[in-house]
Amino acid sequence: MDPSMVQQTFKAAPLTTEFFLQGSVMENSLETLVNRLKGLCDNADYQQESFQDHEMVFHIKNTSVPTPLVFRVRHSLVQTECWSLRYLGHAEVGDKNRPTLVRSYIDCPTSENVAQFIGELGFRMDHEFVVKGFYFHKGRMKITVSKFYKMNQPGNTTNDTIETVCPSYLVELSVVTSSGQEAVGDDMKNFAEQLKPLVTLEKTDHRKIQLAQT
Amino acid sequence: MAAPYSQFSPSPTPVNVCVEAVLESQIQEVRVVEKPDAPDGHEIQEVYVPPLSMSENLTKLAQKIDFYKDESDEKGKPTSEGEKEEEEKTGAAFQPSLWPWDSVRTKLRTSLTEMSVLLDILNVSSSKEKRYMVLDPVQQNAPDPKLAVQLMSKRRALQSAASVLQSGAERLRKSHAEINNKNDFHLELLNVRQKWRLKKTGTSILGDLSYRSVGSRYMHNGVFEVVKSSDLTAEGEFLAQRGSLDVVVPTELEGGAYIQVEVKSVPGNCITDTMDLTGAILRVPSGIGPVRSETYWQQKLEKAQNVLFCKEIFAQLAREAVQSKASIPHLVVGNQIITNVFPGIQLSIVLCHSTGKEREKKLPQYKMDHNHVLEHSLHQLLRENHFKNINFPAPHPVTALVGLTKKRRLAGPNALSRKQLMDMSDSESMLDQIIKQTKHNVLRLRTMQTIDGIAATLSDPQLTVHWSCCNSSTEASCRVIITSQGYDLRVWHSFVIIIGVDSLKVIIKEGRVFFLSFEEKELQDFIMWQVSQHQISVSQNLARLMGWQIMSTSTAMGVSDLESSGTASSLILAAPNKERILAIKSGPSSGIKVFLQQSQKDNKNRVILPDDKWQSVGADYQQVDLSKFEGRNFASKLELLLATFSHDLSSSSS
Repeated sequence: MDPSMVQQTFKAAPLTTEFFLQGSVMENSLETLVNRLKGLCDNADYQQESFQDHEMVFHIKNTSVPTPLVFRVRHSLVQTECWSLRYLGHAEVGDKNRPTLVRSYIDCPTSENVAQFIGELGFRMDHEFVVKGFYFHKGRMKITVSKFYKMNQPGNTTNDTIETVCPSYLVELSVVTSSGQEAVGDDMKNFAEQLKPLVTLEKTDHRKIQLAQT
Repeated sequence: MAAPYSQFSPSPTPVNVCVEAVLESQIQEVRVVEKPDAPDGHEIQEVYVPPLSMSENLTKLAQKIDFYKDESDEKGKPTSEGEKEEEEKTGAAFQPSLWPWDSVRTKLRTSLTEMSVLLDILNVSSSKEKRYMVLDPVQQNAPDPKLAVQLMSKRRALQSAASVLQSGAERLRKSHAEINNKNDFHLELLNVRQKWRLKKTGTSILGDLSYRSVGSRYMHNGVFEVVKSSDLTAEGEFLAQRGSLDVVVPTELEGGAYIQVEVKSVPGNCITDTMDLTGAILRVPSGIGPVRSETYWQQKLEKAQNVLFCKEIFAQLAREAVQSKASIPHLVVGNQIITNVFPGIQLSIVLCHSTGKEREKKLPQYKMDHNHVLEHSLHQLLRENHFKNINFPAPHPVTALVGLTKKRRLAGPNALSRKQLMDMSDSESMLDQIIKQTKHNVLRLRTMQTIDGIAATLSDPQLTVHWSCCNSSTEASCRVIITSQGYDLRVWHSFVIIIGVDSLKVIIKEGRVFFLSFEEKELQDFIMWQVSQHQISVSQNLARLMGWQIMSTSTAMGVSDLESSGTASSLILAAPNKERILAIKSGPSSGIKVFLQQSQKDNKNRVILPDDKWQSVGADYQQVDLSKFEGRNFASKLELLLATFSHDLSSSSS
């Protein structure tokens, strides 16, 4: 890795803001989208990066605050020693001029006993799932095309015990950076334009989805 | 239905006879129409001319009147007027000689009459009162002569149609010919587009030569412009050969360039005295000459891209040379970078760029030691840099930060120290890497030359070198085998030399490891020491074979003269019947010497120890002159010597 980049990561402001856009594709049009992404992204033409992650969502309830605090523990099923603990804020839609959704994002690599650790802090596991998909990058933009699986047996991530939630793939375009770097949004907007009409990446208001479900 | 009606009375008794036209229309054509239900399979149909209307009939009749008919024709008319005229004319006919112009006068008079009548009629008809006479226009059928006009117009239309088709065909043929000639601008543009990144900005077409899409971070934008050849007027003579498309590259990327890497040995140690700052000699193949049209722009662009690449290499190296904190600073002068590799050995990297426009100067032929391998390594290093710039390992889990290696991601959980983290981030600069490669290159060459030199001068024993084909740009290895001719299979001595960046590692047969510096003298001494030890082990082996007893060996003899390098080794052998003792000394610089101690047979005057077993004690050693022995090398001479004494022994005992 570029030494200057490491130096930067030591010195620069913490990367705590995520700019992101979401969309989805049906399974049968996945190949077209992946081919398009291969054409657009850096170094994707000869090596296809895929990933398999297992995510556990932990809640802690506080009597004074009605909404629970949510922490997410994720670990890779490909590189099994890589675990991380993640906090995601609420996605802010913002006004019309803002091209992307923004949420606070704190990601921390951890050792494998993190689940036990936060369990002892009082967190309770709410749900867990498996994500499989493809990873691309273009500059500092990260593009994931992922499919969600629900786990029939708690804690068992083997292929025969998981089951797809729905046949479509979630396409997510995101940049994690320090807060206040709004210029990233325009780059992302331009990139999202390139993917039309294969997938429409837009600001999806999560509250509306939640309201629709209730 | 209009039927012509006429009536006349040829006889005095008037009988009215009606003559009418048949009430049938005229038959225009007869058609034979196939009909399956008719008795003979077909039916005959008659097509009639449609009957004329009243006005048409009138027109037809009017056309039949011949106004130019001679008056004489009307003579037979059974009218009273006609009869009178006839009488007058017969009267006139009887006096033809009266006046020769009489007939002319008559005709003029009649014509005058007719003209007057016509004038009267016209007056009447053109007068304002229309009740006396009205002139009706006479409708007429299209006259027959129009057929010719129709044919003419048809012919003209066909001709124009033919000309349109012909011009179209001509254009097609032209475009086809252009495709064959590859002369079409747009077609060539398509070809360029397939190989280079182009975009249209305003009216101009710009292309991208730079390596940014593969990870380069060089400042130069590397933009070229695609133009039509017809726009260029300066180089008129090449237009025909170059096709219709041309590319305009920035002036600083024109011509050819390459990186010249040279390893120079500089006598003496002072840098500034001997540094040849004017050593940058441009020797570039002559500029772009006329080339084939379809490859012209491709070659030009490739050359320009190469220039850009070389410039990037040089810029990177120059930046690193200035930034580096080496003990001996690197010099960057103009288009040359000079660094010290080893004392007395310099690496000079020169960016040679000729724009192809300056006149080729006849430079004094300067012997250049251009190192193609290192030039290639430079190219490779920059490409690796490019690759690293945009090729990050994928994050796992996928939510992790982009651009971190797995080791870096696990740095927190594994609790790495700050020092470990900083070590992780340390990466070698391109200049350091090329210096390392150069050092290795120089060292390998030196080692090779040293071993070859010794092998050439040394006749006893022989040196054989096996170079390993598995090597890298900073490590190589070889095995040196020392053998004595004729005894190769029995005794051989070998050691492995691993050539690193600035030191050698030598592993000898018994597993001992030696580290040698880059100075070739150390290697020379080491090899000579190994040679001297080889001689001892040959002797030892032969002695064992012949039944001699090894009394002592030593690889580092403490007595005798000091060797200039290394240590001498020794071997003391006793003959099978203990009557003779051989002492062999082998030193790296003093060579091999053999001494013999013989027991004195006539030792009767010994008083103190008269016993036989003491008889060899205290006897003198005498050096054996090996040059007097027959044999190719020391081993065969020694074998002879050992055999002689063994033989002598057996004969004496028997």
